[in-house]
Amino acid sequence: MHNVDLFLKYLPVFIPVLIIELVLMLTALIHVLRHPNYRFGNKVVWILVVVFIQIIGPVVYFVFGRGEEE
Amino acid sequence: MNILEIEGLKKKFGSHQVLDGLTIHVPEHSVFGFLGKNGAGKTTTMKIVLGLLKADAGEIRVCGERAVYGQTKTNRFIGYLPDVPEFYSYMSAVEYLRLCGRITGMSEKEIRRMSGELLELVGLKGVKKRIGGYSRGMKQRLGIAQALFHEPKLLICDEPTSALDPVGRREVLEIMEQVREKTTVIFSTHVLSDVERICDRVAVLNDGKSVMEGTLEEMKEKHKKDSLLLEFPRKELLKQFVEEPIFQNLLSRAKLEGCQVIIHAKDIEQAEAELIRGLNETRLMPSRLEILEPSLEGLFMEAIQ
Amino acid sequence: MRAYTAYTAKELTEFTRTYKLLIIGLVFLLFGIMSPLAAKFMPELLTSFMPEGMQITIADPTALDSWMQFEKNISQIGLFVIVIVMSGMMAGEYSRGTLVNILTKGLPRRTVILSKFTAAVLLWTGAYLVCFGTAYAYTWFYWRKTVNTPGLTEAAFALWFFGVFLVAVTILGGVLVRTSYGTLLFTGLAVVAQFLLNMIPKVEKYNPIQLAAGGTPLLQGQLEAGSLVKPMIVAGACTVGCVVAACAVFHKKKL
Repeated sequence: MHNVDLFLKYLPVFIPVLIIELVLMLTALIHVLRHPNYRFGNKVVWILVVVFIQIIGPVVYFVFGRGEEE
Repeated sequence: MNILEIEGLKKKFGSHQVLDGLTIHVPEHSVFGFLGKNGAGKTTTMKIVLGLLKADAGEIRVCGERAVYGQTKTNRFIGYLPDVPEFYSYMSAVEYLRLCGRITGMSEKEIRRMSGELLELVGLKGVKKRIGGYSRGMKQRLGIAQALFHEPKLLICDEPTSALDPVGRREVLEIMEQVREKTTVIFSTHVLSDVERICDRVAVLNDGKSVMEGTLEEMKEKHKKDSLLLEFPRKELLKQFVEEPIFQNLLSRAKLEGCQVIIHAKDIEQAEAELIRGLNETRLMPSRLEILEPSLEGLFMEAIQ
Repeated sequence: MRAYTAYTAKELTEFTRTYKLLIIGLVFLLFGIMSPLAAKFMPELLTSFMPEGMQITIADPTALDSWMQFEKNISQIGLFVIVIVMSGMMAGEYSRGTLVNILTKGLPRRTVILSKFTAAVLLWTGAYLVCFGTAYAYTWFYWRKTVNTPGLTEAAFALWFFGVFLVAVTILGGVLVRTSYGTLLFTGLAVVAQFLLNMIPKVEKYNPIQLAAGGTPLLQGQLEAGSLVKPMIVAGACTVGCVVAACAVFHKKKL
């Protein structure tokens, strides 16, 4: 069986997973863009981390990268 | 009654003796100015009173009860405002005050009443945003509100104005003036004009000891008035005055400045009489004649010599 | 008591507003979904990636595989995420000086620690329940009757208990070292120490890490549930010990 077929076949099952990953990514991304002061790193770095590292990226951003509320 | 008594307080940081037998008594219903150079030990003293630091020796009584390090019992009498108060930035002012109220065991009704009253007093009523977005001045004012929340008998403020701009400073001083009817206030500072504006008692801290203590009047009284200021409308008149032989006796310890001359004398009344007699004879008319009050700055500089 | 509930409520508010609840909730929900799915579809994925002509036989996935995935995911990444998030609990208060105000109001220092521990355990328990519930629902959906694998309750409870123990260690670390990285390191070292101790056969029977490591063999029927009793007693004692020690140390800390 071809990989793409396999992916399409099980797509409905994986939709919740994709949604959760997307929600995590988007909340983190919005926060990165709206609060441009970070404990370390800069905007570009955090956007890359949040968008391209699944799950752990947003977690690391919120725990370590998020600056104080202004 | 003394609300706070500090007897022979000693504290050493490493080899540096910060406090060396400090003794201070703060009577009820006063605004007590705690003066000293930066690093004189003002904050250390306050932290010891609050039980945040351990003293090497000495005794502290708050409302007659002994304060002990690590225990927070006497803190129920005290409201504390640190120099840069820090709050949970994700809370609003109302939420923070509610947390304070619950911690001190106030009823929900009382919490609502006090929050309304105090936020009104410090001008933060209706401010909905979270504390993280506050300015320095707003934080300081919220700091006063939280310090007064459990209606303490003693309000301790550590340099409440030094981190503020002139507007913020005036607001904070005004609030502290309003508060004096309800509670005793101790505040540390190195800004003398703040002290002159709101304090009625002062202690000057130097080398770990209180080198001068009393009401502002008492202190000024003790350091007797010994200066006369004389101002002439024109410089030529001043020159004429200085050259007049009749005044030479007085001018032996004088200081000239612009159109003014300041005369120092041991017996100020006798000097004044002599001066007026001389002025009458020479027909030299000054535009101003004044006995100078000793300034707090002068007293302070003298005390910490 | 009111101060305790008030401060615990403050901690829970902090979780919500600093996105910690969101992160942990979503991550654990994700694990709840992924564990059964991975078990269900892994064999098919594996075969599809195999080179043409290569023959391997993979048994049909069962509910047991799903629960083994669950144990593996939570005991590794799940606990790691929990510890990362909790590592800032004390460090944040120390570094920003926010406790000075609260303590001068007469809140006992002990209450600060107990409240933080309570809130952290509540968050961990909530996240764990969400994760377990989701995994249970998916496992039931795919395997129906076999969802209640023998030893499941014991294994799940042991893993939860280990999480509570780890939270207590993290709180103690936070009080001791003052920074979040230091706290992470402290908890990390505590776990590494347990792994090392596991090499000594006599210690293994009592080692709290068995609660996390023993889940899979328990589900596979290679381990008696009774053998987790001793590690659980030790972990319980250590949890209490950590909290008591944290209170004692915090009493002496300068702020």
